Amino acid sequence: MLKKHLFYLFIFGIISHSFSQNTTIPEKWNNESAVYLSKNVHYTYNRPRNSIEFNRVIKEKVLLLDQAAVTNFSELSYEKDNSYISYGTSRVTSTYDLKIKIIKPDGNIVRVNTKETLEGKDKKKLAIPNLEKGDIIDYEFQMNVIMGENDLYRYKPVELLIKDDYPILDYKFILDTEDDFFIAFNSYNGAPELKDVSPKVKKKRHRKRVYTFELKDVEKNKSNRWLYPYAELPCVKFQVNFARTGKYEKRAYAFIPKEASIIKKTVEKEDVLNLYQDKFAPKGDLGKIKRFLKKRSFKSDEEKVKAVFYFIRHAFFTRYIEAWVADDADIIYPYSYYGDAIFFKEEEQFVKYFAAFLKDHKIDYEIIIGTKRYNGKIEELLLESNVDYLLKVNTKNPIYIESFDHLTTVNLIDPLLEGADAYALEVIKRKNIEGIKTITLPITTIEDNKVVEKIDLTIADGFSALNIEKHSIYSGQTKRPEQRQRLNFYDYVYDEYKKFGTLSLSDRIKKKKLKADFDKKFKAIKEKMAVKQKERLEKRTASEYDFEIENYDFEILKNGRYGIDDDFELKESFTIPDDLLSKAGKNYILQVGKLIGDQVELEDKEAQRDTNIYMRYARSFADEITITIPEGYTVAGLDKLNKKVINETGGFETSASLEGNILTIHAKKHYNKNFEPKENWSKMTDFLEAAFQFTQEKILIKKL
Amino acid sequence: MLLCFFLITSLSFGQKKLNPSPEEITQAKALREAHPDEDIVILDQSEKITFGRDKKSKKVNVYHNVSEEMMNINTRADIQKFIIYNGESSIESFTIKYKNKKDAYVKFNDEAISDDDMFHHDMRVKYANVDFPLQGYKYFTNTRKKTRDIKYFTSVYFAGKYRSLQKTISFIIPDWLDLELKEINFEGNDINKTSNYDKKLKATVITYTIKDIQGRYDEKKSPGPSYIYPHVLVLAKSYEYNGKTTTLFKDTKDLYKWYRSLVKSMKEQPDHLKSKVTELIKDAKTDEEKIKNIYYWVQDNIRYIAFEDGIAGFKPDESQNVFKKRYGDCKGMANLTKQMLKHAGFDARLTWIGTKRIAYDYSTPNLSVDNHMICTLFKDGKKIYLDGTEKFNAFGEYAERIQGKQVLIEDGDSFLLETVPSSQSIDNLETYTFNAKIEDNALVGLASKSFDGESRASFLYYYNNLQNDEKEDALVYYLNNDDKNLKVSNIETSDIDNREQQLSIQYQLSQKNAVSSFDNEIYIDLDYEKEFGRFLFEERQTDYIFSFKKHFESKIVLEIPSGYSINTLPESLHIDTDNYKIQVQFEQTGNTLTYSKAFVLKNAILKTSDFETWNDTIKVLQSIYDEQIILTKTP
Repeated sequence: MLKKHLFYLFIFGIISHSFSQNTTIPEKWNNESAVYLSKNVHYTYNRPRNSIEFNRVIKEKVLLLDQAAVTNFSELSYEKDNSYISYGTSRVTSTYDLKIKIIKPDGNIVRVNTKETLEGKDKKKLAIPNLEKGDIIDYEFQMNVIMGENDLYRYKPVELLIKDDYPILDYKFILDTEDDFFIAFNSYNGAPELKDVSPKVKKKRHRKRVYTFELKDVEKNKSNRWLYPYAELPCVKFQVNFARTGKYEKRAYAFIPKEASIIKKTVEKEDVLNLYQDKFAPKGDLGKIKRFLKKRSFKSDEEKVKAVFYFIRHAFFTRYIEAWVADDADIIYPYSYYGDAIFFKEEEQFVKYFAAFLKDHKIDYEIIIGTKRYNGKIEELLLESNVDYLLKVNTKNPIYIESFDHLTTVNLIDPLLEGADAYALEVIKRKNIEGIKTITLPITTIEDNKVVEKIDLTIADGFSALNIEKHSIYSGQTKRPEQRQRLNFYDYVYDEYKKFGTLSLSDRIKKKKLKADFDKKFKAIKEKMAVKQKERLEKRTASEYDFEIENYDFEILKNGRYGIDDDFELKESFTIPDDLLSKAGKNYILQVGKLIGDQVELEDKEAQRDTNIYMRYARSFADEITITIPEGYTVAGLDKLNKKVINETGGFETSASLEGNILTIHAKKHYNKNFEPKENWSKMTDFLEAAFQFTQEKILIKKL
Repeated sequence: MLLCFFLITSLSFGQKKLNPSPEEITQAKALREAHPDEDIVILDQSEKITFGRDKKSKKVNVYHNVSEEMMNINTRADIQKFIIYNGESSIESFTIKYKNKKDAYVKFNDEAISDDDMFHHDMRVKYANVDFPLQGYKYFTNTRKKTRDIKYFTSVYFAGKYRSLQKTISFIIPDWLDLELKEINFEGNDINKTSNYDKKLKATVITYTIKDIQGRYDEKKSPGPSYIYPHVLVLAKSYEYNGKTTTLFKDTKDLYKWYRSLVKSMKEQPDHLKSKVTELIKDAKTDEEKIKNIYYWVQDNIRYIAFEDGIAGFKPDESQNVFKKRYGDCKGMANLTKQMLKHAGFDARLTWIGTKRIAYDYSTPNLSVDNHMICTLFKDGKKIYLDGTEKFNAFGEYAERIQGKQVLIEDGDSFLLETVPSSQSIDNLETYTFNAKIEDNALVGLASKSFDGESRASFLYYYNNLQNDEKEDALVYYLNNDDKNLKVSNIETSDIDNREQQLSIQYQLSQKNAVSSFDNEIYIDLDYEKEFGRFLFEERQTDYIFSFKKHFESKIVLEIPSGYSINTLPESLHIDTDNYKIQVQFEQTGNTLTYSKAFVLKNAILKTSDFETWNDTIKVLQSIYDEQIILTKTP
């Protein structure tokens, strides 16, 4: 785990050596793999001369209780944090230091020579000698970054869960700073509050401030299905900003306290307003939009806004995908064929541009500032990195626009923002953001987010295999991951060129010979991609089942890229070799339940749950499976295929009927909400268990 | 940020000249049709090996030149052209050219290779990303690698990463060098050899040519490359310089001499081990107990961490270092075992060995003959081999990978050659029994498993490397296959730390969803595990190696519920060949049905020549597995 720690937790400082040599652990932890006797995380922000210094020390003492723990700590590696290598024009010096000692059960201390570290490009590694069961490994990893002359600097935000893979006896956090460092810090979900333990002596300049908290007896982290740890488990978040006092202070970043002596614990609506009122000022040359709108008329603003959005998506993004592919494959330098090749790389630019259009057309809109549900609630917002923004266009039916890429459609926002509270910045007269209010973002339902599958199953001669024809329709939030995995650029860009009257890259190349050469090479790329695409789709479909599939083929019927009601539709065919059929004398047993795909398989220990249930979105799955029963056979065992468990959290329901030689099975499953309180867990397990049990059901195909 | 791309003059690439000609396209298409899974084919490959003397180091240098004409036979291909080297070698040149022989201006990268199995080694790779935009597109590549000491230049293989339509390998052996080329695995391959004397060069030129040799197989569990590919071993015996002859590896004794010189250069301080050895043997009543205490302590306390950097790949780390660090590679562990045993009063010696992965024995003096080191204990006129890297290996038992292999044992300035004894598959017996009856559509009853020999060692290794807090769960997962349908309870095990006794586990098992009732009949899927049910070799081209000689027996006894009788039973199966035995049998006695199976992999290998009969057997086995046991209500 050490590897992981040094990798992911980037910490600092000069450590206090006040650790007790107490090695006794509570009896309840005797059967653990290892126990942190102490874990000390120390961040320091200093101002040596004109420089600013950042120092982080992680000091951990781990009692190793079994061979697995010894193995875990026996090879140690860390990667240098390259993000500090250069910053503007100022000089940056990064140093790393590692101290390790091993405390033997008899109290003997063995110091490890960390100079023997093997150096790779960005990685250092060390084999820890003399490590045995019962030892305590005591190590200290220090990272120090000194930056030259700077007036303003924003350090990376830190989010720490006060939990680890082993239990912690004694956890201590220390934050050391001086004047000119502005701190935003807060504790969440039961993590202790920060205490000010600054030295009493007041110096004129660079007053030193020390903050700390401690925690005892921290149980180890358990992996849990459907949990957002930062929304529920004890954690702290903070960010430190340096701003030289005086005029720079006023120019400092948003989300920092007014004075260095105050620790900012929450972000106020006003902070949000201050930060964003300039950030999203409408901006951009609307010439392209004007030309697009010239020959078009719309029944409503709503229709116009949507049309313009899809036009922008094409004009500033999908129009260039061919160029990116060609450039990446190194077959041509494509950008010269586009005249003014301009595309949006960052969403912020899109927002400004879109705002400029709305302003130009006198359409009211709001800028929404939200935070993903896994970060916690908006009123607890502290870090700018936890902010997400979107546009709400106030047409008759409001239009929400969140991200900007080749798949984005209006009114389908990130599911992690759905239903969460957010701040709305009202744009008065489409220019100045003058008010801010709290709103609740819309939420999709099981009616919006559906997966509908129709499976036609025929049995091959001699019961040698099952042939499947599958037609799937993904709607709402369910289509996004499918589109991402299954679509390739050539599935949609050529339609878009037609729709918007633009030219493909090939059509832009005028020289005949050059064009012929490009066409050949680009065709080769697409052919190669198509082979990979088919493999990818087959893999994805196979992953839905716990049996093998063969002879896979597919056809994308609808791309689903225009609006929340525009579904993604797919037709697939494959065979299932012999996994689901077994011979029973003259008859056959068919594991029919497996055709609805893998279901959640709850372990016994999951029966109890002490955390709330966080899911991405409400959703429903409907399967219609038709099975043609071969001539001369009938079916038995249909009674087991009728199940029904429905409650407030969701449900699972199936039915089966035989008409002539066609057996039809309907299966429906739905998760009603994207969140359930832990008290509802047993209700969820009721329908999850029913769905799992259905996958185990079999029917008998009986010889007449 | 708006990214603006300024108009730049579009490159008027002379691509035309580089694009494939109609003939090349036709050739590429034909090749692709013949080899539909391959992307790149080498049309012509020429390797030339020359030798030089370094006056300063007094070493014989080897220069290995490889020129290739590569063609893409797929629609498009993006590959990495690479060459591997280490601390004893360097890349003197590496070029990639278009088909018009002009430089392709690719970017070369040079990186250390990371290896999960080895903590540190000095292997590096130099490579370039090369794209072939069209079918039939070609590049010419050339590499020149220098090996500074001929003893590290051990062999040249004919099969490379890609198929070669035409390949020549020439050795230019100067008169001053006494070199033997030992041809291995040539049978079945159409390799032509010529030998000429070049007066101008004062050298013998030996040239091998081979047509259409496919690339190396990408298959797991294959025998080592020295078994399956044609190659020549380079045996450099001696060289002359200024009238003086210097012996290299003329004989096995020369190889031993070099190994011995490395051992002699070690600065052993066995005093550091004293107190530990005393502690380990103080309560031991017999010599065997003393030896075991030491051997098992090394197994349990020295972690395998390998440093293969230059001479560290050949010279063992001193025992005091390995002892202090509590880690080492095979050489370090062998040496520590030796020194501890010596201190306890036993005769123990370092022992070099090539594991089963290597096809050769010590009749060939070459560094590629061995890859491992163990310790030999001389006791009561017997030699017992101790391998500290084999965790949970019982004293006197040998891991499959060293069984039957020749060992080179130190004996002062002389050496001994011996062979590690082989075991039988029955020594690794693994069993499963389940006494089941039907309760609420589940099979319920007492189950047990037992493990011996290597099956026991591998179980103990897996189990003892689990975290304490995961052990209980892991044992349950192991027994229930992480399947919700299997419920396991009341687990009882024999001593789970004992590496010498048979290991046994008893538990109560409930197997849900194995029984289906339709009308008056009960259908039972009696066999959950269905061992080897999917073990078919359809496209495999190389022998399949098992980690050890397996002998597995399973017995499931079903109590037939009263009022029911068995309709029909699946056929039995019995096949016994040189390499394997499979037996399946159903037997009804009174109201019990006994279903027994046995799988024996006698030599831990299935040869490609076995595949046809093996596949036929497995298909019969599959049909047995697919068949349900039917119980009918008696009227």
